Amino acid sequence: MEANLVSPDPSLMVVGLNHHTTPVEVREKLAFSEGMLRHALPRLVAAPSIQEGAIVSTCNRVEVVAWTHDRRQAGQYIKTFLAQEQGLPLQLFETHLYTHTDREAVRHMFRVASSLDSLVVGEPQILGQIKDAYAASASIGTLGTVLHRWFHKAFSVAKRVRSETGIAAKSVSVSSVAVELACRIFDQLSDKTALVIGVGEMSQQTIRHLQDKAIGTLLITNRTFQRAVELASACAGTVVPFEQFPRQLHLADVVIGSAGGSVHHLTSDLVLGALHERKRRPMFLIDLGVPRNFDPRLNNLENVFLYDIDDLEQIVADHKGERVREARKAEAIVSQEVEAFWQWYACRDLSPTIVALRHKAEAMRKHELEKALAGLKDCSPEVRRAIEGLSVSLMNKLLHPPIGYLKNHSRNGDAEAGATSVTAVRQMFGLDGAQD
Amino acid sequence: MEIVLLTSALVFYLLSTAGFLLALLSAQQTFLRIAPGLLLVACAAHAGAIAARSLSVGYIAVTNPYEAVSFFTWMTSGLFLLVQWRSSLTVLGAVVSPIGFILTLGVFVLYTQARALPPALQSSWLPVHVTLAFLGNAVFCVAFFASLIYVFQEKQIKGKKIGGIFRHLPALETLDKLNYRSLSWGFPLLTLGIVSGAVWARHAWGHFWIWEPRPVLSLLSWVLYAFLLHYRSVGWRGRRAATLTIVCFTVLLVSFLGVRLLPGRHGGEFG
Repeated sequence: MEANLVSPDPSLMVVGLNHHTTPVEVREKLAFSEGMLRHALPRLVAAPSIQEGAIVSTCNRVEVVAWTHDRRQAGQYIKTFLAQEQGLPLQLFETHLYTHTDREAVRHMFRVASSLDSLVVGEPQILGQIKDAYAASASIGTLGTVLHRWFHKAFSVAKRVRSETGIAAKSVSVSSVAVELACRIFDQLSDKTALVIGVGEMSQQTIRHLQDKAIGTLLITNRTFQRAVELASACAGTVVPFEQFPRQLHLADVVIGSAGGSVHHLTSDLVLGALHERKRRPMFLIDLGVPRNFDPRLNNLENVFLYDIDDLEQIVADHKGERVREARKAEAIVSQEVEAFWQWYACRDLSPTIVALRHKAEAMRKHELEKALAGLKDCSPEVRRAIEGLSVSLMNKLLHPPIGYLKNHSRNGDAEAGATSVTAVRQMFGLDGAQD
Repeated sequence: MEIVLLTSALVFYLLSTAGFLLALLSAQQTFLRIAPGLLLVACAAHAGAIAARSLSVGYIAVTNPYEAVSFFTWMTSGLFLLVQWRSSLTVLGAVVSPIGFILTLGVFVLYTQARALPPALQSSWLPVHVTLAFLGNAVFCVAFFASLIYVFQEKQIKGKKIGGIFRHLPALETLDKLNYRSLSWGFPLLTLGIVSGAVWARHAWGHFWIWEPRPVLSLLSWVLYAFLLHYRSVGWRGRRAATLTIVCFTVLLVSFLGVRLLPGRHGGEFG
């Protein structure tokens, strides 16, 4: 009986680890695949302390999001749950774990969804990953009112941050910056040709970005012919034998160089010849090589634009700085939204409790009134009305203080006080059916 | 009526200037949608003002500096709206709108009461010659702004300075295409303007050509534009074409303003 009176400790929780706290060797061991989630989620909410739960698992983070009535027990349970599900000793990762509760948990989730907690601040994938996590838990049925609302709010915060700040406005990778530059020279890429010299990782990334912008034709050349063939078949390009690329140069609007070697693959003579053949239509040369693939003096030629890896990295650094500045604006938005969500959370139990209280009192009153009137069959209608009136005003007078108490405690947005008062009233009046 | 319309045009030029600047500075799509609408209202009001004046004097209202500047401003803004409608060039709006505003302010300074048309200008060639010449000038004006922005944008990209508000500038290729298209429309218009002027001169003075600064400058800009168009067609493009477009328009502007400032009979007892 005494245990029942100890107020439980309801809480929003996030327990997990991410790239800030944990090396990749540990993170990869804790990652949940889609198949694993299907079995793990029901086991997560099977714990009596956890009402609702979801798991966000990406390559940068593994986090359990939960709504619990007992934060201490739930915190402990989630840790052992992670260890058991992954078959790992808890000591391996316990020190990396963080636990956020209530407002801090809400803030954390909003920041993650808005990509403020990402390795590359402002990257767009994380929101999609959280939406996937939400969809998985929703389909399995481990979410309730609180988590549904929490996730949806996180999505809308992320959207707001994206539209009201420039956090994701500028590219922060060398290859995407290069392709953006191409779009400032050419009005569209769909009728343009790109020549790729060398098949390294940088070339491949740039090709992906060019294809996102619907580049018309891709010509690929490499010293080792076979590797050019492989890349060309992977990205629907055309192979040009390495010795022959100078003859095809005039076709290229964009030239990407990431081949090795210490000679310049593009020289002034070569490019001037190509320019003449293409009637001086502009050429954009992207030199991703170290040592440089193209003669740096090419930038002085008319209608030739040359960017080397240092130029591009300088731009990337500027853009990153800008993202940091925009992130400050985003943090302010998050703070606002945390408070708004918290208001809702703090008051969410209020009206059902008041309704239940009124219902219960009304039922009691009716019941007792009928009983009393049954024994007073001969009394006049005036007396009946007086007795009924008495029962109503008595009930209202008695209900006034507890309802006022509930409203007062929730009004200041303090969820803990709100929840405590709701629990107290529910227990005091037996609203959860315990005394029926 | 005319003044009321002209005043509202002035107000809307100012509003569209603000709209285009905001569209350029902030990434908000709303401004981008509103600004051309504001400019359209300005243009419509301006057209109304010109029509009102023309109706009240009974001939096309382009025969004194007030009317001429007003007509030119209206044509350039209208032409920009056409270009904007075909391809979204916000930055051009951010240039054309304030210029529309400033020129319309100038129009108020130059304002003169309507009066009877001097006898020298009383000819049915007046509307033909003037409309063709003005339309040609307005088209070249668009080419001029496109080239100014091209030169600036090219300098930024070559110099690897690509941040700031200038990242919203249109692609070089877009500007270059606009330059070419404007030139290929403007040149025939200029040609027809000169030819119609010559025919009119034959009617009025008895010879096709008068050796006076104004027509000579027009001819010089015609030669320059012909030269530019020729070299464009054999592969001059980009910065070189843009620079020459700027030079050509400067000469054209001098000849245009020269109507009033340079000595000669052209324009008659103009002003």
